[in-house]
Amino acid sequence: MTDFNVRSDSVDVEQIMRQIRERIRQKRGVDYTEEQIRELADAKLERFLDPSGVRSGLLEAFRRRPATPGYDFEDTALVDSDKAIVRFVRRLLSPFLKLLINSNRLISVLHMQAAINREQEERHVLYYEVIHNLVLEMTRVSIESRNLKMRLESLQGRLEFNERRARALEAVVQYKRGGHGPGEDEELASTEPQGGVDPITGGESLRTRRRRRRRGRRPQGQAEGSMAGDDASGDADGVENGRDESLQHEAGHAGSSERQTARDTHHQSAGTSSGHHEGGPDTPDPEAQ
Amino acid sequence: MKLAVVVQRYGADINGGAELHARYVAEHLAKHHDVEVLTTCARDYVTWANEAPAGVEEIHGVRVRRFPVAHERDVRVFARRQEAVFDRAHSVGDELAWLDAEGPTSPALRRFIRDERGTFDVFIFFSYRYWHAFHGLRAVHDRSVLVPTAERDPAIGLSIFPPLFRAARAIMFNSFEERAMIRHVAGTADLPGKVVGIGSEIPERPNPDRFRQEFGITERFAVYVGRIDRNKGCGELFDHFGWYARSMPGDLHLVLVGKSILPIPDHPRIHHLGFLTDRQKFDAIAAADLLIMPSYYESLSMVALEAWALGRPVLANGRCDVLKGQAIRSNAGLYYESYAEFAEALYAIASSHSLKHALGQNGRAYFKRHYAWPVIERKYLETLDRIARDGVSGARTLDPLPGFFARRRGSVPPAADVLATVPAGPSLS
Repeated sequence: MTDFNVRSDSVDVEQIMRQIRERIRQKRGVDYTEEQIRELADAKLERFLDPSGVRSGLLEAFRRRPATPGYDFEDTALVDSDKAIVRFVRRLLSPFLKLLINSNRLISVLHMQAAINREQEERHVLYYEVIHNLVLEMTRVSIESRNLKMRLESLQGRLEFNERRARALEAVVQYKRGGHGPGEDEELASTEPQGGVDPITGGESLRTRRRRRRRGRRPQGQAEGSMAGDDASGDADGVENGRDESLQHEAGHAGSSERQTARDTHHQSAGTSSGHHEGGPDTPDPEAQ
Repeated sequence: MKLAVVVQRYGADINGGAELHARYVAEHLAKHHDVEVLTTCARDYVTWANEAPAGVEEIHGVRVRRFPVAHERDVRVFARRQEAVFDRAHSVGDELAWLDAEGPTSPALRRFIRDERGTFDVFIFFSYRYWHAFHGLRAVHDRSVLVPTAERDPAIGLSIFPPLFRAARAIMFNSFEERAMIRHVAGTADLPGKVVGIGSEIPERPNPDRFRQEFGITERFAVYVGRIDRNKGCGELFDHFGWYARSMPGDLHLVLVGKSILPIPDHPRIHHLGFLTDRQKFDAIAAADLLIMPSYYESLSMVALEAWALGRPVLANGRCDVLKGQAIRSNAGLYYESYAEFAEALYAIASSHSLKHALGQNGRAYFKRHYAWPVIERKYLETLDRIARDGVSGARTLDPLPGFFARRRGSVPPAADVLATVPAGPSLS
């Protein structure tokens, strides 16, 4: 996050708020406005939601349902008419009608029914609103979940890389801490990457450098004799030196790649260690650890 | 001049927004004019129960005359009537019944105002939505000043109030947003008055260290001062701050000052200190990195002004037009309308010393320019002088209340619908 560095006479709160909103947009990647979310909820649900779970045209279907009839029922409805004369006669005879049947009860029941119907209608509107809001929220949540999933994948990748890197680093730490007694040479051999290339830096290992220093201190003949003796004893150095040369070439590449990106470091450490497998059965494989 | 300040409650220990506002105005105008406060015996704004004795007393050098409330508020009746006028088509009679249920209904106060109208040159009424202001102002509209303290709530959409706004000799608005809203509902821009607001008694040297020692708070913190109530946006504040503490870097704490009627979350970085004295409150604000004002409805946030007076930035709820407008006009605060904005704005202030300092400096200058007591007093005195100069010729027309039948005609639209037509947003032009 960048810091705000401002003077009091140059503060513009609206400008700062614009910066803050811009920052939020950058963080989210895509900033959906309320209208966009509504649009998504209306038209593109199938892209985010399980179509078998929620119909994308649900709200549309709800909206399209047939209009409800009028539920109004007044006390005068039973005797009402478009024609004034009929209305007059009905009203005139309504006391007589009341003698024959209990029309008050009928009116009261129909009145109640009208009220119930109205209430149902109001409830429908509420249902519609609830469903609409649910669909909106589901859309919002599904977008959020998709974003989180992407972030999680990215984090998982980085975590795995860090774990591999940590393992490789542990190998180096063990090597540096190792003693120099005869009993510990085997342990060193098992922990040090052979072939003289550091798995992390991609450069020469300490062992390679030490061997080269030792050779540099000896006279030329001694060095050759020694090398011959060594060859006779098992040709180990010859093999190693030959491998040193070829691996130093690789290490040059590995080192430069290492410095380029962190991801490349991971790739190189794995690649280098696979090259060392030929050097001996005890060569550590950071991947295997 | 002899002035009457008419307010629903009054007392040195009553700290409600409009009541404190009225007390400050009365005490400051008393330096220039003969001021008497007319109020009720109520102390509780929910029940309006008569707790203080009726009669005359003196508070901080100002004479206070109290009148009994005829009946306490029945919360259920009030809720029913409020629903009827806010959400459904209704009649003027329904609105008057709602006003009666809201209270504080004090016929004795109205009678005194009517009988003694010649004794006072000007009556200053506080809070348009209460019984005392409606009936009192109607009794003496030709010598009335109204301090509406209006918020963006449905009461402003009731049909009984526009005639009141049009009849007052002057309206002392708290903010430009309030003025725009009242002009809209009154149906005219011709409402004499000024945008005044209110000052505050800011101590010369608040002591942040004293606060930290007293309450053992050593961490950096944001402070909220006021009633801890869901209606004040505190629920949302707790949610936002909880997420902020989990997801954002830093160790900013949240300190809550005020009486709580909402459970405080059990969070290691949220501290509730309860009600504090003024000295402690100012020390707390001075010790804080910033003040958070999460309220959705404010006609003027005194505590935000106090924070600015002490050079502290404010993080306000951007859905409150008044707070957002003030933050933009003063260049002394940021605002939020979502969690993402809350987190980024809070982090920006908490992490950037230069931004915090610049906002604080602007706040201090803004307070000094608009809300220092000499400025407030001058605006009131100019208004009172104008009323005295114009005399009765400056009186405005008061529309009579509808007659018996018209009062019962249920053709008045729901107040919430009227409110929806009022333009929203900060008034920046």
